[in-house]
Amino acid sequence: MPRVLVIVPAFNEQEALGGLLAEVRALDSAALGAEVDLCVVDDGSRDRTSDVARKGGARLLQLCRNLGIGGAVQAGLRLANRERYDYAVQIDGDGQHPPAELARLLEVARSEAAPDLIVGTRYKDKDNFRSTLLRRLGSWWLRVILRIVTRQKLSDPTSGFRLYGRRALALFDETYPYDFPEPESLAVARASGLKVAETPVQMRERQGGTSSIAGFSTIYYMIKVTVAVLLTYSRTRRRKPIDDATGG
Amino acid sequence: MQQVVENYWMFGAVCLVIALVLIRLLARERITLQGSMSFLGFLVVLGAMAVFPNVTQRISKALGFTLMSNFFFCAAIAALAILHLRAMVTLSRVHLRSIALTQELAILQEKLDRMSASRDQPPA
Repeated sequence: MPRVLVIVPAFNEQEALGGLLAEVRALDSAALGAEVDLCVVDDGSRDRTSDVARKGGARLLQLCRNLGIGGAVQAGLRLANRERYDYAVQIDGDGQHPPAELARLLEVARSEAAPDLIVGTRYKDKDNFRSTLLRRLGSWWLRVILRIVTRQKLSDPTSGFRLYGRRALALFDETYPYDFPEPESLAVARASGLKVAETPVQMRERQGGTSSIAGFSTIYYMIKVTVAVLLTYSRTRRRKPIDDATGG
Repeated sequence: MQQVVENYWMFGAVCLVIALVLIRLLARERITLQGSMSFLGFLVVLGAMAVFPNVTQRISKALGFTLMSNFFFCAAIAALAILHLRAMVTLSRVHLRSIALTQELAILQEKLDRMSASRDQPPA
């Protein structure tokens, strides 16, 4: 049975985290066909996030200072890679990603194509939760940039609901973008020769806490990510490709 | 045309004051010698240029500057830009290492917690 590490990066998410962990714990390993472990990465929270994680029965990586979402996710991916998990699944700590949707990601991972990185997309299902107009506009722009750079059509480049296979774990243990990493990590993956796929998943509104991207930071986000995607893709293409057999 | 003789002793004095502040910071171990040597060198060169304006005048003329003050500004801005770039490279390297260390620390701490939890468990 493949081993899956569910990584939950959390920064001041005491409100939403408890419910989310209970949902992950309620997943049926036999039905999923995978052994599921749970790891919360507390990104230097000032509230009771780490207590909630411990009570929820999760493994806890407690970062001594706030690294941002990229640093937190990479800490979890490093753990998954070193402990030779078959897959790691990233689920946001704000409760936007229903853990029950993990089955859809695993189904794609075990398909014949066996992609290395699978992104759960909210835009392929019309009944799905819709984010704000500004965010949808930003997402559209990133889709255009990523399509030009990676020559692959990706409908939801900012989605943090992802499954990483062995080769993706090996790559991101070594290098992972730190600020606003989702679109940039897709560019890194494609430039390193990984197979990236996406599958429709249900998403919902955040169950607590506040988003770190709002107001003027949205504009900064767009400019920074655009430059980063372009730079990262050209830089990563010159690196040694990830080994198929070992995933390292 | 009358040659304009300019004095830059005041500029030299400012360089000296900044160099003294730098040495004080070094003595208090607030900054490292390795990181501040280039800045100290920059202050010495700029201070020497201000104290010996005749030599500076000849260099600025040879480089095509009509006014020595323009040469001063250009040299200072270029040197500061180089120092700033060096500092950015060092800062970025330290930042990335600090991220990696924070992650490693968290992973090791989790491993230790698990080990001590399993040790504290009574045997079945």
